[in-house]
Amino acid sequence: MTPANLMILLLLVPLAATVIAFAAPLFGTRRGPFIAEGAHVVSIVVLAAIAFALAATILEEDHLFAAGSWLYLDPLAAILVALICVVGLLTGIYSLGYIRHDLASGAITPGKLCRYYGFFNLFLFTMLWTVTANDIIMMWVGIEATTLGSAFLVGFYGQRASLEAAWKYVVICTVGVAFALYGTMLVYAEASAVMPDPHDASLWTSLVSHAASLNPGVMRLAFVFVLIGFGTKAGLFPMHAWLPDAHSEAPSPVSALLSGVLVNCALFVLLRYSAITTQATGPDFPHTLFLVLGGLSVAAGALLIYVQTDLKRLFAYSTTENVGLIVLGLGIGGPFGVAAAILQMINHSLTKTLLFCGTGNVLMKYGTRDLRSIKGLSATAPVSGALLIAGALALCGIPPFNIFVSEFMLVTAGLRAGYGWLMVICLLLLTVTLAALLRFIGGSLLGPRPEGLARGDVSAFALAPMAALLAVILLFGVALPQPVARLVESAASVVLQSNVTTAAVRAPWQSSNRDGSHEDNPLSATMRLSGRP
Amino acid sequence: MTGTMTGLQLVNGLASLLIVTSLMVIEAKGATRSAVYYALQSFILVLIFLALAVVMNAPQLYYWAGVALVTKVILVPVIMYRTLGRLSDPTLVEPRFGLAWTIILAGAVVAGCFAVVSSVHLPGAPELKPALAISLAHFFLGLACIVMQRNLLKQVFGYCLMENGSHLTLALMANRAPHVLEIGIVTDAIFAVVIMAIIGIMIHSRLQTLDVRQLTSLRG
Repeated sequence: MTPANLMILLLLVPLAATVIAFAAPLFGTRRGPFIAEGAHVVSIVVLAAIAFALAATILEEDHLFAAGSWLYLDPLAAILVALICVVGLLTGIYSLGYIRHDLASGAITPGKLCRYYGFFNLFLFTMLWTVTANDIIMMWVGIEATTLGSAFLVGFYGQRASLEAAWKYVVICTVGVAFALYGTMLVYAEASAVMPDPHDASLWTSLVSHAASLNPGVMRLAFVFVLIGFGTKAGLFPMHAWLPDAHSEAPSPVSALLSGVLVNCALFVLLRYSAITTQATGPDFPHTLFLVLGGLSVAAGALLIYVQTDLKRLFAYSTTENVGLIVLGLGIGGPFGVAAAILQMINHSLTKTLLFCGTGNVLMKYGTRDLRSIKGLSATAPVSGALLIAGALALCGIPPFNIFVSEFMLVTAGLRAGYGWLMVICLLLLTVTLAALLRFIGGSLLGPRPEGLARGDVSAFALAPMAALLAVILLFGVALPQPVARLVESAASVVLQSNVTTAAVRAPWQSSNRDGSHEDNPLSATMRLSGRP
Repeated sequence: MTGTMTGLQLVNGLASLLIVTSLMVIEAKGATRSAVYYALQSFILVLIFLALAVVMNAPQLYYWAGVALVTKVILVPVIMYRTLGRLSDPTLVEPRFGLAWTIILAGAVVAGCFAVVSSVHLPGAPELKPALAISLAHFFLGLACIVMQRNLLKQVFGYCLMENGSHLTLALMANRAPHVLEIGIVTDAIFAVVIMAIIGIMIHSRLQTLDVRQLTSLRG
């Protein structure tokens, strides 16, 4: 099968699973759930296999088109496809144990179980659609569709709070994303007036090659609209109001998808627009906006994490903080800032997926998200406890976990670019997060087992994906695999639209013995991180 | 030439009627009346698309007009009329700003949008700038409706108004984009309205209220 056909299959597989899962209740309450689960498992396994095959292709061929020029995959899109499929696979396996637990406890009916897998795969489809679209209007349609596909997952339990969260999610995100439509239309209208072939005016690959001829005034206005719109979806402060509600009320594997990949899809579209806008207006305008919104998001996230008493809201505000860090990296700019931002997207996604799955284990054991009632998880469910401790330490940004590497790169990039004070403030805010997370570990994960709670862990279906995530988190923290590093470097040059300088993406202690491969290319001058910890 | 000028005036005139019908949607008592006024507004939008098709020599807009007629004049209003009409909340006291204040607000929004559109360089025909300003104003009036109204259903209508505004902007600025893109945008809009309506119905049946200020269990 050709890579172009694989890209089409990437969209058809989850769509087919959606249809089968929605039709499954027709086969009765006993067989229906098995059919839905079967279609779901086939879908997530096949998707993961396709994602790896496509990533391997992109490492060889740099980019590829499918369906005419409607679908496009470059290193940046390949990273997003891989993230969606890997996180989709792991949260999908986790769901098998989690949703069966809900069925056994009577929280949901067999029909609802089928609908869960239908919406789960629909959600995967809409995200894959967004990141493989080459057309900027289709990207917008995709982002809007992610809201619509996941709204019922947020309101899944039909309780007062979950319906409220679903309402806020739909209203805030559709209204926010409507702003992005204005930005999209402005770019399209300007490009169709300027470009030699107006029929290509909505294709990102054409836009980016003609970006320098677009009117800077129009592009500035468009970028503001786009940043408000997709920034809402990414959970940037002050448009983040939907995020803590939706993340906390959704079933835990869905929270992991929302936090781990959905916000990254919105950031992906912002990266696409950043590549165009930077060329049209010069870097100062988009960078200033990124620095302001990123800095505010880090500050708001860090301070709100500190006051949370709800486990899932704690991690939800951490998402806003991390999205802020990513956007700060884009604002710092240059190969180092952008590469650090993209690596932070990957690392945050993996870590937050582990943690949100962990909140599911806590819910299965304790039946509450209230941190004042969750005590001694390590004594009650030792494996879950150990995995959550590791995940929380990883989120703190300490070695040998993955987030340390990207945060270290980000702060180094900031210092090199002359943002010393901003980096100091940022580090102080990260200390606040560290304190909140250590308090969480001490208060809820360590300590004696509460009386009246049986010792015993959750099912292997729930633990296995978490263990796999921890292994990847450690691997990325200790020795970032070379193919991943190369993809991140190439993705950064996609955003910067220059292949002149490439930042070396690696942990500060990793040797640079692979630099020889770069010297094959006379255009790439590898810069090295100065200073070691 | 004269024919084109008249056509442009017709487009700009019809666009201003959109603002009048939005005020009717916002101020109407009850969801069923709002649905009827919304259908009326969408019909005006269809007429604008037809006029634009002639003026801008853009035959693809006939097709847009057909899509809008089926979806926005018939489908969405019927869905809203049949599903939302049955929901009521006697405890919900609608805020009464009074028609005068609503008109003043709308006037301010329109004036602001005219100022923005006329001061910025924009791609597209300069004669259609009034219509462009009104489409933008329409979008912000819908936003104001969502922000200021306490009634869940009115917020859904607010979204519909925003969406009609951006649809007109799309017709003015991006009518040469491939058909499939317009279909994508319209499909998203219809699903958004349907999903909002379904969640609204679920909230009403579970909480017996349509008042968004009752949705307060998630804070902080």
